[in-house]
Amino acid sequence: MIRIQDVSKVYEGGTAALRDVTLEINKGEFVFLVGPSGSGKSTLIRLMLRQELPTEGKIWVAGKLITDLPAWKVPLLRRSIGTVFQDFKLLPTKTVFENVAFALEVIGRPRHVIRNQVPQVLNLVGLGAKADRLPNQLSGGEQQRVSIARAFVNRPLILLADEPTGNLDPATSVGIMRLLDRINRTGTTVVMATHDHAIVDAMRRRVVALERGRIVRDQSRGAYETGEQRVVTGQQRTLAAEQPETDGEL
Amino acid sequence: MRFQYLIEQAMTNLRRNVLVVFAAVVAVLVMLTLVFGTIVLRWSIDQDIGRWDDNVRVIAFLSDDLGIAEIDAIQAEVQQWDEVEAVVYFSKAEALIEFRELFADQQSLIQVVEEDPSVLPASLRIAPVEAADYSTITDRLVVIPGIREVSAADEAIDALVARSSRLRTFAFWIVVVLGASAVVLIANTIRIAIFARRDEISIMKLVGAGNWFVRIPFFLEGIIEGVLGAALAVVLIWGVRGSIAELFSTATDAGALVVPAEFMIRQALMVLGFGAGTGLLGSAFGMWGFLRD
Repeated sequence: MIRIQDVSKVYEGGTAALRDVTLEINKGEFVFLVGPSGSGKSTLIRLMLRQELPTEGKIWVAGKLITDLPAWKVPLLRRSIGTVFQDFKLLPTKTVFENVAFALEVIGRPRHVIRNQVPQVLNLVGLGAKADRLPNQLSGGEQQRVSIARAFVNRPLILLADEPTGNLDPATSVGIMRLLDRINRTGTTVVMATHDHAIVDAMRRRVVALERGRIVRDQSRGAYETGEQRVVTGQQRTLAAEQPETDGEL
Repeated sequence: MRFQYLIEQAMTNLRRNVLVVFAAVVAVLVMLTLVFGTIVLRWSIDQDIGRWDDNVRVIAFLSDDLGIAEIDAIQAEVQQWDEVEAVVYFSKAEALIEFRELFADQQSLIQVVEEDPSVLPASLRIAPVEAADYSTITDRLVVIPGIREVSAADEAIDALVARSSRLRTFAFWIVVVLGASAVVLIANTIRIAIFARRDEISIMKLVGAGNWFVRIPFFLEGIIEGVLGAALAVVLIWGVRGSIAELFSTATDAGALVVPAEFMIRQALMVLGFGAGTGLLGSAFGMWGFLRD
């Protein structure tokens, strides 16, 4: 689904954000990108979205070599990727419904499709009853649910999440992770950059650790850190308990 | 639905920055009012120039002893000159008829002419391609044997022609100077609109909106500003077209000078098109370097 080959990214001024990174992510995988600030997680996500081009190397997303993609085809690439950010990126003057509908409007989906799909995806994220609220009338967790709904409403192949729980308290984060997990179970590949130890340790999914622009660890069913036994918190128990559960609703 | 959406976006942009939009529209209005006014003024001056009988500027009086073949030869030769539009042969009989009309109230004069036909010679009446060509034509005519005398329209025509061409220069500089400022002002409104909507635009790009889908509302905004300014200029000049036409007119009954509606409509469409073009150019400048990935 995503293939990153020998990719380096050096920013103007000589800062090397990524060095010789090679990574392959398969369809339907859930991958955590972990590492301290400045390790290159966000750069990797921007490269996959083609918000930036690598200095060296090649990147394939959904079968397309996106490092060679002409500029006019970039919008089409982005329609197959949903994105979620730490700061939600909601439009403050639009209601919950309108924020989600916006993603369909701007790619020219007909009105009946919008009327049909938006309430469906709002129900999925548990905000069906709050469709007419404005973002500032919602809690942080609810706002992030709206942004996940917007990312998912177009049924993308890939969901990229950059610190989606970065602004949320632990209890709220659990709910968001539950949602991302459900989306992953529909077959959507999820790539999530985070430095939330608790979440990574509880979910036990593939972990790709970055440090100063290099991949230092790639482990399936991994933890945030290696070898270290961590005290299991209540929150982690909650998340771990979710694991066997399967959702047939999607 | 998509088209309606794009129009709505453009209208939202316009409403959001009423003051800067107002400045841009006024710039277009001032520019095109001056340009359109100048067009109408030139029309009235050209009417004045044209009052000289179907553009005849030069009359070559022929010797009475020329035969028909010789006259035909001269007419054919003059007709070939680059600066000559048309040559008409005016016989002695026609000259007499014209003289009778011109001096209908002076019977004694008519009597003199009727008694001595040699007083009114036959002539070639020549219309130049450009009004200003009359002096060249005169110079070439006087050396042809068989032409008795050449008479040309005087400096009054020269002055009118010069005024008409000065107005053309004036309109040109108006377009250059005020056009540039109108383009810059429109570009400015576009920049402000882009800035006001930068979050929205970044989200649009994130969810895969096409580049043109993002740009079109801004182009529409610029075009609407340009056309609005042009439309106001058209309304303004349409209202005072009579007074403009009278301004420099030498006609005694200037009030009778009616600018034809067909001419006004044709020029108004051109002015509107020019306004739209100014808006388009302004938006293009405003987006320059922005709205890329």
